[in-house]
Amino acid sequence: MPANHLEASVRREPGGAVLDLRGEINGFAEETLSAAYDEAEARGPDAILLNFEGVDYINSTGIALIVGLLARARASKRRLLAYGLSDHYVEIFEITRLSDFLGVFPDEESALSEVSVS
Amino acid sequence: MTAPRSDARRTLAEFSLPSEPGNERRAMERVAEAVSGLGLPERTLEKLKTAVAEATMNAMEHGNNYEPEIPVDIQVWHLENCLLVRIVDRGGGPPPSPNAELPDLEAKLEGVQTPRGWGLFLIRNMVDEMRVSGNPDHHTIELVIYLKGDDDAG
Repeated sequence: MPANHLEASVRREPGGAVLDLRGEINGFAEETLSAAYDEAEARGPDAILLNFEGVDYINSTGIALIVGLLARARASKRRLLAYGLSDHYVEIFEITRLSDFLGVFPDEESALSEVSVS
Repeated sequence: MTAPRSDARRTLAEFSLPSEPGNERRAMERVAEAVSGLGLPERTLEKLKTAVAEATMNAMEHGNNYEPEIPVDIQVWHLENCLLVRIVDRGGGPPPSPNAELPDLEAKLEGVQTPRGWGLFLIRNMVDEMRVSGNPDHHTIELVIYLKGDDDAG
């Protein structure tokens, strides 16, 4: 199976910056994910949304990378939200308690709605 | 190494992979293909795939130090009441602890602990049983999914 390395792009939406992620979040993804987060953070948003709709694989190293982003968001008092996870990865976010620390939403509309309300 | 005892034992797959980053995905896809005839619920299959990928990654990294010429051996059995996946590396020393406690996420977020260290915990929560053993030449991890009974992980 060919590696499906992570691609990431950043866009601005009312209420926050969205990181559109495509591919795999594993040990190969660190540089791409960190650079995309840097770009999103540079715009000074109150919230950063991670769009997982294009992500088909997250391993334990990828979980650690997401923990790293969450730590950065906390340190800068910025909200971090996630949407577009498959049911399997929603369950993993619950088991690992990641979902206790970042908001998990089914889609972009509901995530942005949460940001605009709070 | 001997196969587990059972009156109704069937080998579904037996293969080896080089210890190279990313090969855990090959392992999980090959195991998924091997069990495709068992009709596992989708949720159970996804959990099995994650467990196989994490166990293979541990074997490649901690057992074989990501040395490509050292293989990870994977066997898949359909037993009478369960599915068993055995993953073997060539590492010496003590095997990983089977006590996969929930990592302290708060400590990781505060930078007191490394953000890594999720693998065994994930594996333990994806299957009905996780067995870990070792000898001077190998570490073995066995992943068990019950196919009948009340304790189905799916």
